[in-house]
Amino acid sequence: MCDFQAKLVAWLDHELSSDEAANVDRHIKECRECRDRLATYKQVSENFDVYCDAVVAEKTSHSVSRWVPVLASTVVAAVVIFLALPQRRIEPPPVLAPTLALTSVPVPAPRTAEAAPRKTIGRRHAVPPAEEQVVKWQPTETAVQIAIPAEAMFPPGAMPEGMNFIAELSIAPDGSVQQVRLRQ
Amino acid sequence: MSDESVPLALPLLRLAAGSSEVTTLYRELRKPLLRYLVCLGLSSDEAQDVVQDAFLSLQRHLASDGKQENIRGWLFRVAHNQARNRQTSYHRRFSEPLDGDMDFLADNATPEQRVLEKEKFRCLAAAIRLLTESERECLLLRAGGLRYREIGEVLGMAVSTVGDTVERAIKKLAEKCNV
Repeated sequence: MCDFQAKLVAWLDHELSSDEAANVDRHIKECRECRDRLATYKQVSENFDVYCDAVVAEKTSHSVSRWVPVLASTVVAAVVIFLALPQRRIEPPPVLAPTLALTSVPVPAPRTAEAAPRKTIGRRHAVPPAEEQVVKWQPTETAVQIAIPAEAMFPPGAMPEGMNFIAELSIAPDGSVQQVRLRQ
Repeated sequence: MSDESVPLALPLLRLAAGSSEVTTLYRELRKPLLRYLVCLGLSSDEAQDVVQDAFLSLQRHLASDGKQENIRGWLFRVAHNQARNRQTSYHRRFSEPLDGDMDFLADNATPEQRVLEKEKFRCLAAAIRLLTESERECLLLRAGGLRYREIGEVLGMAVSTVGDTVERAIKKLAEKCNV
């Protein structure tokens, strides 16, 4: 085994003093075995570096992929909130609701017989619409005539037998009796 | 993500807005630090947190007139210790087999090339699992561009011990992978 082999890695890393490095330089030119070992160490070092980069790249990509769904859901939530906010703003406050309802909701037209036809379901005969009968008060001279026996009004013997009276009552529009007249 | 766009999004650089030195160090060392921490077993998010904490510590360190020699080794040591404190994550070995789609390969790589690369990495991962913890950490710091002296400072080892450990680890990988 060559004595210089223990210094090859340090020589590769520039960790030898200038004198030691010069000795190794000279030896490498003459020793094929050390040149091969040096090439091997260099290749291993490069592979190790690439492996480190691969580990970092993989862990970084895993880290990014883990955050992708979180970021995506955050963005979606933000968009939903953004879209929902304007709708809330145009909603009338509860206090103003009755006023806004009065001004904005059209008042329905009054129902008439023509506008709202009646349903005839379940009825064999059509019911004629009720006619409004305007009753005008026709004052009469005598509204009611009541025949009253004389015995009911006078004590027995005070009036001759067989005599009757007729009471004529005049009734006012409000139903009260305006006048009572007795005639024979 | 470009290097220019990252610092503006980080609170630590707002704290260090007056320190162009810290900003320069951040742009230079952020990626190697992240790479080292992720390869140690931290998740990408955890590594980002540790890197930010490390630069915040650096800002405080410089503000208190702390030692300004070997800042790179100092940063890696702070980050390394913080990663160790996250014991749960730290024990997830970075030598676990890659199960991704090898997206880092060139787009024009043929399926055969992808299979060969995956097989090569599978073999390398198996060999890495056989390394000791210090060997693995030495190789990772070496891959991050640290000198043996800096590695020794991060891991608390003598420079000669670092050289021996790196050499032993490289020989193990070469032997197991038949390179």
